[in-house]
Amino acid sequence: MRLPARRIAPGRAEGLALVSGTPFSFVGGADPATGTVLDDETGLRGERLADRIFAFPHAKGSTVGSYVLYGLAKRGVGPAAIVNVKAETIVAVGAILGGIPMVDGVDLGGLRTGDRVVVDAEAGFLDLPDVSAKPVVSVFLHNKGRYLLVRRSEAVGSFPGRWSAVSGYVEGDEDPRTRAAREIREETGIRGARFRRAGSPVVARDADTAYVVHPFLFDIPHRRVRLDWENVEKRWVRAAEISSFDTVPRLGDVMSSALSSRYVRKG
Amino acid sequence: MHLTATQERILADGTPSQRKAMGILCAIGEMNGAKRLVRITCAHVSGASYKLIGDPGLEFLEDFARDARVAVPTTVNPLGTDLRQWKALGVPPAFAEKQARIAQAYEGMGVRPIYSCVPYELGARPGLGEHIAWSESNATCFANSVLGARTNREGGPSALAAALVGATPEYGLHLDEGRQPTIVFDVPTRVEGLGWSLLGLLAGEETGDGLPFFRGIRGTEADLKWLGASLASSGSVGMFHMERTTPEWRRANLRGLRIRRISPKDLEMTRREYTDGTDADLIALGSPQLSATELRKIAALVDRRPPRIPVWVFSSRLVREACPEAVEAIERNGGRVLADTCLEVTLLEHRFGTVATPSGKGAYYLPSLCGQKVILDDIERLLERYA
Repeated sequence: MRLPARRIAPGRAEGLALVSGTPFSFVGGADPATGTVLDDETGLRGERLADRIFAFPHAKGSTVGSYVLYGLAKRGVGPAAIVNVKAETIVAVGAILGGIPMVDGVDLGGLRTGDRVVVDAEAGFLDLPDVSAKPVVSVFLHNKGRYLLVRRSEAVGSFPGRWSAVSGYVEGDEDPRTRAAREIREETGIRGARFRRAGSPVVARDADTAYVVHPFLFDIPHRRVRLDWENVEKRWVRAAEISSFDTVPRLGDVMSSALSSRYVRKG
Repeated sequence: MHLTATQERILADGTPSQRKAMGILCAIGEMNGAKRLVRITCAHVSGASYKLIGDPGLEFLEDFARDARVAVPTTVNPLGTDLRQWKALGVPPAFAEKQARIAQAYEGMGVRPIYSCVPYELGARPGLGEHIAWSESNATCFANSVLGARTNREGGPSALAAALVGATPEYGLHLDEGRQPTIVFDVPTRVEGLGWSLLGLLAGEETGDGLPFFRGIRGTEADLKWLGASLASSGSVGMFHMERTTPEWRRANLRGLRIRRISPKDLEMTRREYTDGTDADLIALGSPQLSATELRKIAALVDRRPPRIPVWVFSSRLVREACPEAVEAIERNGGRVLADTCLEVTLLEHRFGTVATPSGKGAYYLPSLCGQKVILDDIERLLERYA
């Protein structure tokens, strides 16, 4: 799988991923002499940063973090590369001073500790050679303040029995929006759905598969839904209610992306 | 971001430190959507106190100083102690030794050793519209607001990088649209002395990372120094406008902005909010460092009413040397005038637990950076209380 990324500090590196779900401070977060992770909240305490592709959402804490990162790199115990969701100055400066390749703009949902990763900051991507990407669409149908959730049949290949939006695989080099419109017709029988917006993709991992979910929001003129074999139950819910359902992974993030995405991609 | 041929050459063939400096500027520029680098006339770098940057900072600066030389006039922030008085202050020798090495590293890079947070009172006076790269939040706020120069709120390394290259990424406060206000404060009350710090603390909290416009009050340059220092502490504020006072106030567009009215009661509540101590063991003046006028005024006050607890006054070495009588008066009354350092970046936690100060910036940082309890009040009232 290849994920696009934005270059922050130049270079290319390979290694095993070390993924923290929480923001990280190099001051207090890692031993400055050995590069051993000290921060409990990362779930990585005791791991060493050396030779790893270190991924975390963004930096927190003191600006002295820049110098600590520089010192780690100088002693050869710093990470091989850094991957952020959103880079900011503390880590960016430290990475440049230490000569550590760094990228941002990566959805960490696609990355797990232990994954083999190639970071190419120059070309602007991350490769995960052992993970295969499956592009899917996830379509929220909106009518008068409520959204359609459907429960997946026991016969489907992934996440049977879980609640989901209308969804389906993108095939070949098919345009995700075309696929979204088609899934609406097939899974609900509704015609006349109107495209509202497309969110930025959200990645959900399931073992060695990474579902690259393209979120969509469509308005529909009525709520008369005719389910096909893929789904067995339906509910019209408010956006805030989604957390009380047993859903497919990251459906809440997919919904946020579909509903509040600031950029609207045309197809 | 677009680089000129010269800038490309620095990135490819510069010295190691120049290449790193250019890398920092490019990364920050790209993260913030800058289209190009703009040339600067001067720089001011923070990150000189050993107490704050510690061994990691010292190591970096010594490595960097091997080949780094500033390309524009550059000044530097206060150190972690007064290197001429550290023994008498009870500062550990290892701290003083490492602090001296940091100073040496900066001086080796060609930085003008003012060790001051008020470069604008010591001859660094960029003019209206000049692009500069200043770190130190109070200096940044003063330069943008009072002088009309243009700088973002730089960090130590980004200001140093700009100093080496002589340019900085053009975004934020370098652009006209980045200098528009986001909130209006109506202040239909008289503000003086401590009031400027209180107004700054309160308005900073409410402005967040926006840009305030003040109406109903006017202040001198000295007043605006204290207002800006507090604003830039409690808020991520890099600039303010003040009606009929600051140079760019006529360009400000106030249409549709939220208006907040400030009453004397609000200011008194802010003073109490930042006061958590009951019995001070030190009165501290500074943050930012005092000017010669301010130092003389304090000396006269202390001489008239000598306090029973020590008074530490923070200033620059230039001001200290220019005011020998004021220094003598303060020392005669059990106080000290410390140069090359400032209130919250200096080592005082080894001796004190509660600090009384009229500085809003000091009150903001003393708990976190020095582990102190704080009594925030006017200097006249403090001297009365501890007479």
